[in-house]
Amino acid sequence: MSLVLEVLTGAVTGGTAILYAASGETISERAGVVNLGTEGAMLVGALAAYAVAAETGSAWAGVAAAGLAGGLLALVFAWFVIDRKANQLATGLLVLFLALGLTSLFGGSYVGAQVKALKAWPVPLLSRIPWVGQVLFRHDPLTYLSFLLVPAIWWLLFRSRWGVLLRAAGERSEVLSTYGHRVAPLRYLAVVAGGVLGGIGGAHISIAYANAWFENMIQGRGFIAVAVVIFAARQPFRVAAGAWLFGAALALSPALQARGYGINQFALDALPYVLTIVVLVVVGRRGVTEAPEELKKVFETAGG
Amino acid sequence: MTTTVPPASTGPSAADDDDHEIDLSGATVGEVATEDAASGAPARRLAGAARWGVGLGLAVVIFGGFMLMKGVNPISAYGSMVRSTFSNSDAFGGIFVRATPIMLAALAVSVPARAGLINVGGEGQLIIGAVAATGVSIGVGGSLPGAVTLLLMAVAAMAAGAAWSGIAAVLRLGSGINEAVTTLLLNYVAVDVMLFLIYDKWKDKNGSGQPASAPLPISQRLSLLGTSRVHIGIIVALVAAVVCWLVLRRTSWGFRLSVVGGNPEAARRSGLRVNALVLSAMLVGGALAGLGGLTQLAGAEFKLRPGFVATYGYLGFLASWLGRHRPLHVAGAALVLSAIAIGGDSLQIDSALPGATVNILIALVLLAAFAVQRGTKETS
Repeated sequence: MSLVLEVLTGAVTGGTAILYAASGETISERAGVVNLGTEGAMLVGALAAYAVAAETGSAWAGVAAAGLAGGLLALVFAWFVIDRKANQLATGLLVLFLALGLTSLFGGSYVGAQVKALKAWPVPLLSRIPWVGQVLFRHDPLTYLSFLLVPAIWWLLFRSRWGVLLRAAGERSEVLSTYGHRVAPLRYLAVVAGGVLGGIGGAHISIAYANAWFENMIQGRGFIAVAVVIFAARQPFRVAAGAWLFGAALALSPALQARGYGINQFALDALPYVLTIVVLVVVGRRGVTEAPEELKKVFETAGG
Repeated sequence: MTTTVPPASTGPSAADDDDHEIDLSGATVGEVATEDAASGAPARRLAGAARWGVGLGLAVVIFGGFMLMKGVNPISAYGSMVRSTFSNSDAFGGIFVRATPIMLAALAVSVPARAGLINVGGEGQLIIGAVAATGVSIGVGGSLPGAVTLLLMAVAAMAAGAAWSGIAAVLRLGSGINEAVTTLLLNYVAVDVMLFLIYDKWKDKNGSGQPASAPLPISQRLSLLGTSRVHIGIIVALVAAVVCWLVLRRTSWGFRLSVVGGNPEAARRSGLRVNALVLSAMLVGGALAGLGGLTQLAGAEFKLRPGFVATYGYLGFLASWLGRHRPLHVAGAALVLSAIAIGGDSLQIDSALPGATVNILIALVLLAAFAVQRGTKETS
C-alpha cells in the first residue's frame, strides 16, 4: 500500500476519536462553554468501554458505558461551571485530574485484559472502490457512525430549533432569558452531550484503535479536540477536516517507520501538536473573532 | 462577597493587604475580591468557614468512598497518610522539595494572570528550563566552578522558559490565538524535545540503559538545608513568591499589568503599550517556570528522565487558581497541594493504591474550594 494511502486511511482511523470528542466540544462551545475536561471524558470513556467490554464480552455495551461515563464526568464539570460559576479552564483541568485518578484507581485490573475489539467491517461494494474505498470504507462501525455524526450535528446546530436556542445561549443569553427560556438547562445539555461524545471517542481509542487499556492513554487528544474546534470556528464539517488532519499526523509516524524512513520518533510524536499550532495560526484567526460571545468572555482578551 | 482562600488568610488585615489590585470589569482572570471587608464580616466569615468545612469534609468523605470501593479502609488510609507525611521527617521534608517546582510553576501562572493571560504551559516551561540547564551543564562540564555553572544554568533555564512561553505570547499577539490553547499544546512538544535528547545525544552512557541524562556532578547540585533532604530551592521559590508579590503590588509595571488584565480596552485608550505588557508578562511567567525546572533538576532529580516534573505544571496552575493568583496565597496553596501529593505517596506505599489515585483527592479538594469560592462573573 502506498504511503499516501496508508496515511489517509490512518487519518480516518486515528481521527475518529478526535472527531467524536471535537463534535461534542463543538456543541458545548456553541453554547458558550469550553470544556478542557474533554480529555478526561475521553479517558473515562476509554476505561469504561474497555472494562465493560472485558466483563460482558460486548464491545457495544462498552461504547454505551463510555458515553455514560463521559456524560457523568461532564455533568460534574457542568455543575461547577454553570451553577457555581467556577472558571471553565481551571475546572476543566480539575475534571481531568479527577479522571486521571479515577481511571488509575479502577483501571489497574484491566491492563492487559482481553477484549473483543470493534472489528473493521468493510462496507460491501463501497469498499471496493479504488482509493476511496480503502480510505473510507474499511473501518470499524464507530468510524462509519462518525461520518453520519458530522452532518447530524450540523443539522442540529443550524437547522433545528434546539440548535437556535443553543447558539443563542452562547451568543446572547440575555435574549433567551427575555423570551422566557432558561439558559442553564440548555448549557447543561450541551456540556453533557459533549461529554457523552467525548466518552465515545475515548471508547474508540481503547476498543477499536489501540485495542488496549493503560493509564493516561489519551495523550492530549482531548486538548487537540478543543483546539480543532477553535480553529474550525465551531463548524462541524471543518471540525471533521481538522480531526482527520490530526489523524493523518498521528498516522504518519508508524507509516514512515514501517517503511524504514529514519525520521526521529519524537519528532514525529511532536508533529501532531506542532501541526495543530500551525493550523491554528494560519486559519484560526476566524475561530477567535467569530467565537460566540459567551465563549469570548472565557478567554478574556488582553491585547488580542 | 467572595471568600478568600484557606483559613489562614481570613481576617481584615489580610483581606485589605492584597486588595489594591484594580478590578475594572469584575469578570476577568485578573479579578480579585475588591468588596470591602467591613460590612457584616464576622457572620459571613463564619458562614464561609462552615462552607469550607462542609466542602472539604465532602471531599474527604467522597475520596474515602472510592478507597472503600477498592477494599481499602479509608480511616486507616487517611491515618497513615497523615502520619507518614507529618511524623516522618523524610516525607515532611519532601513537602518542601515537591512544593518548589510547583510553587514556581504556580507563580508562572499568577504573573500572566494579572494581565488577564492564561498560562497552562507550566509543564512544558518547567521541562524546557531543565533541558536548557542540562545543556549548559553538559557544555560547561568541569571547566568552571560548580556555583558559577549553577548560576549559568539558572539563567539558561529562565531564558528557555521565557522563550517557550514567549512563543505562545507571540502567537497571541500576531494571530489572536488564545495562549491557553497554545501553551497547552506546547507542553507536549516540550516533552518530546526532552525525550529526543535523553534517548539520543544526552543519554547517559554509564547509566543502566534507562533513557536519562547523566547525573549532575555534585558541585552543580543545590546544597541542602541543614541535615534534612530539603534543598535550598524552596528558599528560591519563596523568595520568588515575595518578589512577585512586591513587583505586582508596588512597581508601575505590576500596576500596568493589572490595568491590562482588568480592562484591556481602557488600557489601550489610556496609552498603555498593551502588546509589550502582554509579552513581558508571559516572558516573566515562563522564566519563573524555567527556574522551577532548574530547581527540580539541580535540587532533587539531578538528571532528566521520562516523567520528569510530570503534572507539576498543572498542579501549579491549580495552585494559582486556588490562591486567586495572589503570589503569597499561591505559595501557600502550592505547599498545601504538595502536602496532599506527598500524602499520595503513602497511599501507594501503605495502602497499595496506584500512585495516580491521589489526583482524585486533589481534584475533590480543589473542586470543594471552587464550589465554596463563588465566581464573580456576572453572566454565566
